[in-house]
Amino acid sequence: MKKKVYILGGAQTDFERNWTKEGKNMIALLKEAIEDGFKDADFTMDEMVTLNKENRVGAFVGNFIAEQYISQGHLGAFLTEVNPAFYGVPSARYEAACASSSVALDAAISKIEAEEYDVCIVVGWEIMKSVDSKKGGDILGRAAYYEKEGKGIDLPFPKLFGRLADATIDKYGLNQERYLNALATISCINYANAKRNPLAQTRKWFMSYEEASHRGTESNPIVGGLLGVSDCSQVTDGAAVVILCSEKYIQEKGLKDKAIVKGYGHRTAPLLFDKKMADNANSDYVLPWTRQACLDAYRRAELTVDDIDVFETHDCFSSSEFAAISAFGICDPGKECEAVENGVIAFDGAKPINPSGGLIGCGHPVGGSGARMFVDLYKQVTGKAGGYQIKGARNGMMLNIGGSATTNYVFIVGKE
Amino acid sequence: MTIKTVTVVGANGTMGTNVSAIFASFCNARVFMVSRDIEKSGKAALRAGKTVKADSIIKNLVPADYSMLADCVKQSDLVFESAAENLEIKIGLHTQIGQSLKKGAIACTGSSGLSITRLAECYPEEVRCQFFGVHMFNPPYQLTLCELTASPYSDMQMYAELKEFLTNQLYRTVAESKDLPAFLGNRIGFYFMNEALQYAEKYQDNGGIDYIDSLLGPFTGRTMPPITTADFVGLDVHKAIVDNIYENTSDYVHEKFVLPGYVKRLIDKKKLGRKSGEGLYKLIKNDSGDKRLMVYDIKTGQYRDEIKYSFPFALRMKAFLRDGDYDDAFRELISNRSQEADICLRFLLRYIVYALYTAEHVGYDLRVADDVMATGFTWCPPFAMMEAFSRVCDLGALMKERLKPDILSNVDIDHIIAEQIKSKYDYRIYFKAK
Repeated sequence: MKKKVYILGGAQTDFERNWTKEGKNMIALLKEAIEDGFKDADFTMDEMVTLNKENRVGAFVGNFIAEQYISQGHLGAFLTEVNPAFYGVPSARYEAACASSSVALDAAISKIEAEEYDVCIVVGWEIMKSVDSKKGGDILGRAAYYEKEGKGIDLPFPKLFGRLADATIDKYGLNQERYLNALATISCINYANAKRNPLAQTRKWFMSYEEASHRGTESNPIVGGLLGVSDCSQVTDGAAVVILCSEKYIQEKGLKDKAIVKGYGHRTAPLLFDKKMADNANSDYVLPWTRQACLDAYRRAELTVDDIDVFETHDCFSSSEFAAISAFGICDPGKECEAVENGVIAFDGAKPINPSGGLIGCGHPVGGSGARMFVDLYKQVTGKAGGYQIKGARNGMMLNIGGSATTNYVFIVGKE
Repeated sequence: MTIKTVTVVGANGTMGTNVSAIFASFCNARVFMVSRDIEKSGKAALRAGKTVKADSIIKNLVPADYSMLADCVKQSDLVFESAAENLEIKIGLHTQIGQSLKKGAIACTGSSGLSITRLAECYPEEVRCQFFGVHMFNPPYQLTLCELTASPYSDMQMYAELKEFLTNQLYRTVAESKDLPAFLGNRIGFYFMNEALQYAEKYQDNGGIDYIDSLLGPFTGRTMPPITTADFVGLDVHKAIVDNIYENTSDYVHEKFVLPGYVKRLIDKKKLGRKSGEGLYKLIKNDSGDKRLMVYDIKTGQYRDEIKYSFPFALRMKAFLRDGDYDDAFRELISNRSQEADICLRFLLRYIVYALYTAEHVGYDLRVADDVMATGFTWCPPFAMMEAFSRVCDLGALMKERLKPDILSNVDIDHIIAEQIKSKYDYRIYFKAK
C-alpha cells in the first residue's frame, strides 16, 4: 500500500435481530451501529464536527438494494438523520451487490491514501427481513443478470451456486459424495464457530454433520442443484461500521498498536455465470478472478499465505467457501477436500476460516457483509474477538464477493 | 461428563418432547421417550425433530412406555422427568426411577417449582446424591434458560459437572437457584404477570385486561404483554405457579401472588387461555379465515372486541424507539405524568427491584437475575433496564420518588443501586417500537 491506513475501530449489530419485527427503521439500525462503532474507536461526534470544519472526514455507505427491501434510495444522505454531526460530512452510497461495503471500504481507503481525508467512516448495512423469502430471493436475483439469470426463477442464487458446485466437481473430477461431505463439514464448522460469537445469527441453532450431509429431507430440503438449506447463508438484518484513519491522525492523537490495511485486491469476473465458467477453461481455478484478487492483495501487502493467521470468507453458500480455500492459496486448486477433511480450516486448524461463523453462521446482511468481515479481521488482529479469538493472530485476510463471484474484493488487515 | 443415553419421562407432553429433542440434537444422545402409550411416544418423536428443525435427530429417539421404564432407566446416563406438575405423580415416578438408576447417573426433574429436596427423598440413599432440579423453559430451542438446583443431599462435584455439561454441551444458559418455590425466573416473571392481572381488576372501569396490556406492551421491554403471556402460558398453569409461591413464601410482595377472582372463575369454566380457545382473550376465526381478537371484560363478564388504546406517552415512546432514540423514549416515560405512564413506569421500577431482591434471596449471584429474564422470558433483564434508565436519570432518586412505602420500607434502594453492574445484555434489543 502506498500510504498507511489505520483502523481506529468498528462494530457490528446483533445479527439475530429482526428490525422489522422490532418495529424499528433503518435510522435506528444506523444509529446503533454507529454509536457502537464510535465507542469502540473512542471517536466522538464532537470530534467529527471539528474535523469536518477542515473537510478532513468522509462517510461511505455500503448497501445493495434498499430500494427493493424498504423502498429507499439516496442512502449516503441518511447519515444526517443519525446525528446532526453528519451535517456537511461528504457521504455517498456504494454498491456492488453483496460486495457493496467492500467498495465503500475501498473508496474510504483511497481517500486516506490520497491524503484527502484523515478519518473515514464506513457503514455497511441491509434490512432483508422486511419481505418474505420468495420476494427476498427475487430481489437478490438482481445481483446476477436479472433478465437472464433471475427473472421468474425461484431462488435464483441457490441455483447459481448449485451450478458452481457442479462446475467444481466437473473441473477437478471430484467424487460427488466426497465433495458434498466436504461442503457439509464446511457448514458445520461455520455453525459451530457461530456458537462462539455472541453476535452471530445462528448462535442458538442446532446443526450437525448428520443433518448437513443428508440433503433432500424435510428439514434440509434441496434449494439449488446438489445444495441443501444447510449449505446456505442466512437472510439477515444488520449493519457493520469501520472507522479508518490516516497516519497523520494517529500521530496527532498519539495512538499506538492500531491495526492497518496491508493490501487489497479487486477484480471483476464476467457477469453471466455461463461466461464465468467458460472463462476458467485455461485456469487451474474454478474462479480465476477470485484467485487473482487474492494474488493482488498478497502482492500489495508483500505477504504470502504463510503470513496469514485467520481468514474470513464469503460463504454465501458452502460451494463458494470451498472455492475460496484454493483461491486464498491454502491448498492447490482441486485439493480443497483434503484441506477440509484434515481440519486445516477448522477453528483450531492451521488456517482457520470464518471463526466468526461466516455468512452461514454469523449471518449475511448482504450490503453489510464486507464491513462485517473487515470488523472481524480487525478484532482478530487486535485481540478483541473474545470467544472466537484465534490466538496470536497477526494478519487476517478476507474475501467478499458480489453476485456469482462476479465482484471480488480481498483485504488483508494486520498489525503494523 | 459424558451423556450418551437419556430417558425422558413424560415425553409426549410439550416440554417432554422439546427436551428430548434438545438432548438428541446438541449432545447427540440416544433418548428413550417414555409416555403412557408407546404410539404417542412415537408421534412425539416425529414432532421432536421439528422443534430443533432437524429430522436427522429422529433416529436418536426411541419410543417407549411405562412398562419399559425400569429398563430404560438402567441404561441411561441421565433421566429427565417431565411429567405433570403434580407432587403426588412426581413422587410416584421418582420412587420408580430411584429403583433402577445407575450408580453415577444423573436423575433430574423439570419441575417449575416443586421442592427438589422432597423429590430427592424418593431416591434410595445410595443414589440420592445424584438427583437435581433442571428446569427448562418452553420452547427450549428458543429459550435457553435452565435453572439448576441442588438438594441438601446432592453430590456437589456431580453438580459442577452437570452445570458444565448443560452449559457447554446442551448450550443452556444455566442459572443456579436455591431450592425455593418457583425458583428464580417464574418467581420474578409471575410476580409481574399476576400483578398485571390484579391491576386489570383494579382498573376494570378503564377497560381492564386490554387496558393494562396496552400500557405494558413490547415498547416496555418484552415481546408480548404480560396478560397475553399468562393467556399463552395457560391460566391453570399460571394459577399453580402463583398458588405455590403464595403458599410457600412470605416476602414483601406476598399479596401480589394472590390470583384475582375473575381468573379463578375463568379457570372454573375451563376457559384456560389460548390452548382452550378462550381465557383472558378469545381469538375468533370466521369462515373467510379472518381473525378477530376479543378480550374478556372483567366488568361485564363478557368477551368484547379489543380496544385499540392510544396513550400519548406510549405513542411517543414508540415513535422514539422506531428511530432508535432510546434515551428520548425513557425521558418521555419518566416525565409524562398521565395515569398510564405512571402505572407503566412503576411496574418497570418494581420489576427491577423485585428481580434483584429475588436474585439475592433465591440465587447465588445477582447477575442471575439478568440471565433468567433475558433467556427465559425474553424480557429486558433488570440490569440492562437499569442501564437504560441510568442514561437519563438518577435511578435511585426516581425509585424513591415513585415507588410506594410498602416497597421502600422493605427494600434498601441504595443497596440495589450500589449493586448495579454492567449487563451483558443489550437493553436496546428488548424495547420494541410496538
